Amino acid sequence: MFMNHAQIAPARVSAILKAAERAARAVPPAFPLDATVAVNPFLGQAGEDLATANARLRRVAGISLVRPRADFLAGIAAGRITDDDLALALLASDAPAKPADLATFKARLNRPRPAPQALPSVADLAARATGTDWPAIITRTVGLWAAGHFDRGQALWTPAPGQTAWRAWRDWATHDLTPEIAGLTGFCAHAAQAPDTPDRALLRAAERLGLSEAAAETALHRLLMDLGGWAQHARWLLWQAELDGGSDHTLLDLLAIRLVWEEALLEHVPAIAEAWAATAAAHSAPVEATPDDVVDALAQEAAERAHQRRLAGTLTGPAPRAARPALQAAFCIDVRSEVIRRALETQAPGIETIGFAGFFGLPLRHRPFASVETQAHLPVLLTPALDTAADAAPETEEAARISARAIRAWGRFRQAAVSSFAFVEAAGLLYGAKLVKSALGLDRGGPATEPAPRIESGMSAEEKAATAAAVLRAMSLTEGHARLVLLLGHGAHVTNNPHESAYHCGACGGQTGEVSARVLAMLLNDPQTRAGLAGQGIALPEDTVFVAGRHDTTTDRVTLYAEEVPASHAGDLAQAEGWLAAAGVIARTERALRLPGASARNLPARARNWAEPRPEWGLAGCAAFIAAPRAATRGADLGGRAFLHSYDWTADEGFATLELILTAPVVVASWISLQYYGSSVAPEAFGGGNKLIHNVVGGIGVVQGNGGRLRAGLPLQAVHDGAALAHEPLRLSVMIEAPAVAISAVLERHPELRALFDHGWLHLFTLEEGRIAARYRPGGTWQGRGQPVQAA
Amino acid sequence: MSALPVIALAPTVLFATSAFAATGPGRRPAAAPRLSEAAALGAAALALAGLGQLLLSGPAVLRLGGEGPLSLVLRLDAVSATMVALVAFIGWVVMRFSRSYLDGEAREGAFHALMLATLASVLLLVQAGSLAVLILGFVAVGAGLRQLLLFYPERAEARRAAAKFSLVWHGGDLALLIAAACLWSATGTAELGRIAALAPAVSGPLLSFGVAFLILAAVLKTAAFPLHGWLTEVMEAPTPVSALLHAGIINGGGFLLIRMAEAVQTSAGAMAALVMLGGLTALFGAVVMLTQSAVKTALAWSTVAQMGFMLLQCGLGLWALAMLHIVAHSLYKAHAFLSSGGAVAAVASLRRPGPIAVPDLVAVLKSFALALALFALVAGLFSLALGPKSPQALALGAMLIFGVAYLVAQGLADAAPVALTRRTAITAAGAAVAYFSFQLLAGLIWGPHLPPVPAAGALEWALIVLAVTSFGLVALAQTLFPLWAHHPATAGLRVHLANGLYLNAVLDRLIGGFRAVKSN
Repeated sequence: MFMNHAQIAPARVSAILKAAERAARAVPPAFPLDATVAVNPFLGQAGEDLATANARLRRVAGISLVRPRADFLAGIAAGRITDDDLALALLASDAPAKPADLATFKARLNRPRPAPQALPSVADLAARATGTDWPAIITRTVGLWAAGHFDRGQALWTPAPGQTAWRAWRDWATHDLTPEIAGLTGFCAHAAQAPDTPDRALLRAAERLGLSEAAAETALHRLLMDLGGWAQHARWLLWQAELDGGSDHTLLDLLAIRLVWEEALLEHVPAIAEAWAATAAAHSAPVEATPDDVVDALAQEAAERAHQRRLAGTLTGPAPRAARPALQAAFCIDVRSEVIRRALETQAPGIETIGFAGFFGLPLRHRPFASVETQAHLPVLLTPALDTAADAAPETEEAARISARAIRAWGRFRQAAVSSFAFVEAAGLLYGAKLVKSALGLDRGGPATEPAPRIESGMSAEEKAATAAAVLRAMSLTEGHARLVLLLGHGAHVTNNPHESAYHCGACGGQTGEVSARVLAMLLNDPQTRAGLAGQGIALPEDTVFVAGRHDTTTDRVTLYAEEVPASHAGDLAQAEGWLAAAGVIARTERALRLPGASARNLPARARNWAEPRPEWGLAGCAAFIAAPRAATRGADLGGRAFLHSYDWTADEGFATLELILTAPVVVASWISLQYYGSSVAPEAFGGGNKLIHNVVGGIGVVQGNGGRLRAGLPLQAVHDGAALAHEPLRLSVMIEAPAVAISAVLERHPELRALFDHGWLHLFTLEEGRIAARYRPGGTWQGRGQPVQAA
Repeated sequence: MSALPVIALAPTVLFATSAFAATGPGRRPAAAPRLSEAAALGAAALALAGLGQLLLSGPAVLRLGGEGPLSLVLRLDAVSATMVALVAFIGWVVMRFSRSYLDGEAREGAFHALMLATLASVLLLVQAGSLAVLILGFVAVGAGLRQLLLFYPERAEARRAAAKFSLVWHGGDLALLIAAACLWSATGTAELGRIAALAPAVSGPLLSFGVAFLILAAVLKTAAFPLHGWLTEVMEAPTPVSALLHAGIINGGGFLLIRMAEAVQTSAGAMAALVMLGGLTALFGAVVMLTQSAVKTALAWSTVAQMGFMLLQCGLGLWALAMLHIVAHSLYKAHAFLSSGGAVAAVASLRRPGPIAVPDLVAVLKSFALALALFALVAGLFSLALGPKSPQALALGAMLIFGVAYLVAQGLADAAPVALTRRTAITAAGAAVAYFSFQLLAGLIWGPHLPPVPAAGALEWALIVLAVTSFGLVALAQTLFPLWAHHPATAGLRVHLANGLYLNAVLDRLIGGFRAVKSN
């Protein structure tokens, strides 16, 4: 049955291709592990609510987006979730299928929910019919090809570069005999005869599989979910290309590849034709939440309301503010900063801390010492605009590069075919000493001390002052400056951990934060900047000195880069270092309580331990985002669960800073919170798997053991302590001290942001005087404290 | 000769601790993780004491009982003391690693119990002084490792890997059993020391038969071509298991050959088979390794290759060097597996210093000439100082020097700066001197206790030429690699190699590895 492209009606062609595009965009991007950041796994479902997304992902991936009902029931039994929480969640819901009253809701919650089941693929049906595990064979062979194709330097013999995924796979599949050995005779020829473009392959497959236009989207989404992390990696390629104004076809190539398999198996096992036709028909039904989905979503909402209720109890109004602070220290908004900020503030009444996105508002493209490659140090939503590099003499860098190349040559000597034997005989014995060093944690640890950064693209005095003023405004740091202001980026010291960058600063694109902090400190100390700031309307005292530093989130030690601090401030600096050290002890003590086997004293040793699966909890537990003056939350113990952004709306002219906060840090925080959510509730699809059997592939990600599927997301050990989840999966509660009207105005201008709130992926509240004032209701209205709904 | 060798206590300590750990198989047992590391450290200390005892009072034999073919004998000598020290040291590193790594696992206590029992079995195996202990040791190691491979029994891939492992490993046990029966019948003793002494004098089909099955057992247990598949799939178990397997357990086959060297060497055919199969496995494994993008998979293929190389050394009669290779490879591979989590950072750092300078044909030829000159110089100096070397040893040196040529070539590329050329040249010279020195040391330590290199006859010379030529050609191809690896004509070759020439897929087909199973 030869099918010609031209025989398909043009309307159908475009409908099928559009469905494929939608299926592709339903997959979240996964950033490679060398600089990974959290991504909202439900990015493609932001336009629908949790119950509907649950129904969709059940159909395409066989997962549930809500934790087991037993968890909620345990919460209810323990009194963590009250009847009020349940009733309010029920009341607020406008789902037609919601339970009639609280009693019905609880009764339904007590019934077990059916195990989620994906609609079968042709490969699943073929496996059932023939007893041969076709899905596993596809995962294995496609995985082996993809590992080579996307390899960034692990294997010495990678495929010829520069080919599209589609062409590369076709070449591979025409040679790969594995499917034939497994029993799929003729697959090599089938691959060789596949259409020359992926679009044509897609259309031909849609015809042969009998996919209607309505069925195509979820049927194709189903196949992409089957590819796991490979599809998400390809989605990342598209993300990067679009950020640079281009496009990328790799994800649709992967879809076409997977479709070639489906075609071949349908032909190979004709007995499943009927079952497949029924499946295709099921795909054409619209995605709709079942009453069970609604109950699950309501229970989730109730759990979030329970958290909000407890949080409201700790927000008891603003603390008084000292005249001129003794010290100001700006940290990243990261939830891990909350603990050490609270600890630092207890050191002396005059200490003020500030929360701001860890890239400090500077869109850096940084070239590290002795590297020819640059790294983007900024949230992945933005494009870099400022070039910086490690400040070192060219000859020093060249010498370091030669060293690195000699080490690389030695590494290739170790890896290459015949020389690997010579390597073992010449150097193998030396590894005895390396084993002892690594086993005892004696390897050189901690952050490498890089030379200070310098700005490569020159800046005029005006540009310097304008940039500095913009950042200070965004930080709400326009007045009341201390003599010493610390700007602290953060990074995590971990050893032998493939997911290291997941512990670094998400606002710095998965890099550590000290480069951004050092550039900003340099800029703010620059006499040209200082001279121009007054013209920008910011009065910065002459005796204010900025010092950059790095907060190590694993050990709670702070390293300050204080080489150029004037002698006049030596006393302030020494005092600050003492406070930071003391605060570190308190923070370590608090954090160690949550970390199994940890104590305040052994945290640094755990950071150096090459076998440590849980060096720290990262952002596990994150549940709230608060943008307000620090005075509003000062004194409250937020348990390391809140992103804290300093924001003073009274100083925010035209609410430009509000808009910035809502569109950048809030979105980044929502991605983090939803990544933790996804990795906790649906680890099979959105979790990185078990660290104990991780096998790093191509320098970009991990597979489990011998498996072929790339695993994106957080590993099990990052969200689970072995006995229970360490991250309570909650959608983020965003609380902003600003007028509701101003917030509504920003949401109006950013529909994709508003969608997140309207579909419940984020909760939104306003604060007044440090207390919750109103809750945003999907649809754009606000509900005041115990008051009727008011229009915005 | 019946003084108690202290190393005999090491397995006892570990078995006892294992039994204790087994009483609390679940999550976060109170003392087991700490005690397990302590026990492993204790075993390592005993191994060190064993070395001391060997130096002070010489080899010893411990008879535990049993009669005739079933006699149970342990042995302390240069080979067993080395193996015990090696395995106990790696055992300590691995148990220390597991103490942190397994924290919070549902079967944490069971893991420590299984690891200790397996480690104890390996320690028992390498002290074997009689056929019965040898067989018992191998069976126990296989049983322990199988349970460790099934640590996540819900994973279909793990079950498949365990099934393949058991098939090949216990197949090796069966071969060993047959070999033992033959050797016992041929020599009338089951004590390995006596077999070694008697074997050169006894001849006949029984002995040859025994040696043939001994070789079969060894190649199965070292994952030699074509039944290497079980080794390349066992990263299904937690990383410390891989480290113990690739640095401890996999040496069982090599140990078997070295332990029985006197008997093996009576058969020129067996030695030739080892050279050919070992050489083939070495080159095959090393080339497949080049195509693997998953770090643990690449390391597993590297082990296949390194074990093949060790078999080649055995076949050439370079027993002391095979011993050196076992020790050096184990230390390297244990570290490589345990630190494989750093692969993301390692790959990223490869890109940082900029593109790799690619050597052209002239540079490659120059590098080979330089490397051979270096070889002549170093080997000449060593021979002058220490007397002439056997042709087998010289051949092995030549094969290794081809590898060094690769290092030299990287520095000779036109695009390489002078400073880099100098660095790689110094490193290459350092590597050459290092391995000649280590080889010398190996000869001094183990040489006196192992049979001398057989005189090279026509067969030996033919094998030497074959081995040197094939290693030379592969080394040349490897060094010229960037010039041809991406040529369209090689695309198919790469696919077949990346699949390990489908030997595993064929095995899967045969044993039902492609069948669908209930859970995933």
